[in-house]
Amino acid sequence: MGLVVENISKSFGKIKVFQHLSFEVDAGSVLCVEGKSGEGKTTLLRCLNKLEQVDEGSIFIDHEDILKLKDARKIGSKIGLVFQNYNLFPHLTVLENLTITPNYLKIMTKDDVNLKAKKLLKSLELEDKESIYPYQLSGGQKQRVAIARACMLNPAVLCFDEPTSALDEETSLKISSIIKNLANEGMIVIVVTHDLKFSKDIGDIILKLEDGKLNQTL
Amino acid sequence: MLRKKKLIVVLSLGLLLSTIVGCTQQTNSSSEDEFIIGLDDTFAPMSFRNEKNEIVGFDVDLAQEVAKRNGWKIKFQPIDWAMKETELNSGNIDMIWNGYTITDERKEKVNFTDAYLTNSQIIVTLSGSDINKIDDLKNKIVATQAESSSLDAARALDGFIENLKDGKIIEYSTFNEVFNDLESGRTDAVIVDEVLARYYMNNKGEGLYKVLDENLGIEEYGVGVRKEDGELLDKLNITLEEIKKDGTYDEIYSKWFAK
Amino acid sequence: MKIFEMLIPLTWEGLKVTMSVFAITLIVSLPLAIFVALLKGSRNKYINKFTSAYIYVMRGTPLLLQLMFIFFGFHYIPVIGYAFTRYQAIFIAFILNYTAYFAEIIRGGINTIDIGQYEATKVLGMSKSFAFIRIILPQVIKNTIPPLGNEIITLLKDTSLVYILGATDILKAAKSVSNTYSTFTPYIFVGFVYLGIIAIMTNILSNIERRFDYYR
Repeated sequence: MGLVVENISKSFGKIKVFQHLSFEVDAGSVLCVEGKSGEGKTTLLRCLNKLEQVDEGSIFIDHEDILKLKDARKIGSKIGLVFQNYNLFPHLTVLENLTITPNYLKIMTKDDVNLKAKKLLKSLELEDKESIYPYQLSGGQKQRVAIARACMLNPAVLCFDEPTSALDEETSLKISSIIKNLANEGMIVIVVTHDLKFSKDIGDIILKLEDGKLNQTL
Repeated sequence: MLRKKKLIVVLSLGLLLSTIVGCTQQTNSSSEDEFIIGLDDTFAPMSFRNEKNEIVGFDVDLAQEVAKRNGWKIKFQPIDWAMKETELNSGNIDMIWNGYTITDERKEKVNFTDAYLTNSQIIVTLSGSDINKIDDLKNKIVATQAESSSLDAARALDGFIENLKDGKIIEYSTFNEVFNDLESGRTDAVIVDEVLARYYMNNKGEGLYKVLDENLGIEEYGVGVRKEDGELLDKLNITLEEIKKDGTYDEIYSKWFAK
Repeated sequence: MKIFEMLIPLTWEGLKVTMSVFAITLIVSLPLAIFVALLKGSRNKYINKFTSAYIYVMRGTPLLLQLMFIFFGFHYIPVIGYAFTRYQAIFIAFILNYTAYFAEIIRGGINTIDIGQYEATKVLGMSKSFAFIRIILPQVIKNTIPPLGNEIITLLKDTSLVYILGATDILKAAKSVSNTYSTFTPYIFVGFVYLGIIAIMTNILSNIERRFDYYR
């Protein structure tokens, strides 16, 4: 079980972002990807989540190559993404943000969906924010809703794009412990960050993306 | 899938379109003895609406009499006056019957019956005015309706407009506005259809106005038909002649132009 | 006053025409406009260009001209040769015209939606149509209520153009009575009728806007 990335490359026209990247992450581990701005960390993340199409290679999650996934709707159950600006749905309440996708996918009954959502919110200290709209939340709270939303689909891999860029020290610590908890429960967490202190704190593996190649730093 | 949704939309569009097509009836083709008469239903006293929203007027009564005598079924279709020849020539209506002045330009596009009503372009002033002749209008302000035969008559008279104040004649879109200008004192005299003027002055009270003895020309109203409808034209002429001869015409006339 | 004996019934008849043209155009054009807005955003070059051309023509010529063309000019086109009745022409012209205007507004509303919203739906595994209907469209509606409201008010006033095909709306009813009684009062009366209808509509629109104020 785990994430196995084999030989992925990505170019935008003539610009080669990264070439022939391969790495593995075991269940329950946190991988941090560091690198200067513009080196392609976010692109890598987007490729993993199929927001961009890689030019070559395979991405295996639990032995299944998600690039060859027949049903596009199953992507959320394989890999999830917490965006840098969260991208919550502003016209839905916090609870609805969580329940809309599982209800659409009909993976559980509506009652079970609600139960799971409330449980997740409670574990993230958001249980009293159920009926509130995203615009009323603080940055840190929005982030936790985004995490919960992705977790509703039980992905094996959860990605974070610059999770601490908009947070203060205290909230960063909170997020840090949330990520560690997720890993403890068996999730593979991939974090793209340029916050070196943060990556040192949570990262089991730290890789640096430089000149289109991944180098081990730890 | 989006494709399915697009299909649904296209189908419902088709359904809607056919409903619209089905619901409203085709009135373009008229059968043998059924005719559609186009008129401006806001044109008192020739054809206009009463409080029961029925179309009434001199032209309406005359047309109904002609239809009765010929065993025709007629339908009055309100049209926009500016579109009358287009409506006639595209077959939407079969006759233009609405205070339709016979002119040479129009004869090129339609055929006219013989004249059934004479109208003249009269000059009206307020009763206390010292204008009595056309010559008195030199350097005065005169108004009339735009695109009317009144305006044409004014233009036809050599030097008339040039001699007015500022060398121009004021144009309004309806005769109501024209008369309004006269009453407010902004205008010294107006040029109007006698038929319309008498109706208007009747409404407002004769004592307010004065009609000059001189006029700017006499014109006649006729019914307009398509050039190819020769048979219709003949029948109309014959019937109109009959109506004039046996006094029915006078009856109808006095109903609307009681004086 | 005697004039109101005629003015009220005729205005009422005219009001039926005004409101039916208004309502039917609104009900058909709005959903159609969403569809056209989507077509305009299509990646297919032909669909894209065709839709842009349609919108250009509809917005680039006066509605009055379109009414005249569809009713008087249509049967001259060789292949089709079908002539519309007056009301068919009226509805077709109004619907085609207003769908174009609404589509442009909705297109603009769609463009202001942050791309992140689309991406979020993608990583969650939502289908494109589900994402559009449940995530994008509600946000677009909120954005576009003010400009749509403007167009809707313009639509009400544009209904007076039906006169060109001989139909009687409230403005023509005013003209009727005005000519018959040789007075301006009917126009003033009908002016107030327009103001009244628009006051009601503006009220409805503000209510709708307020309903969407629950977020952001």
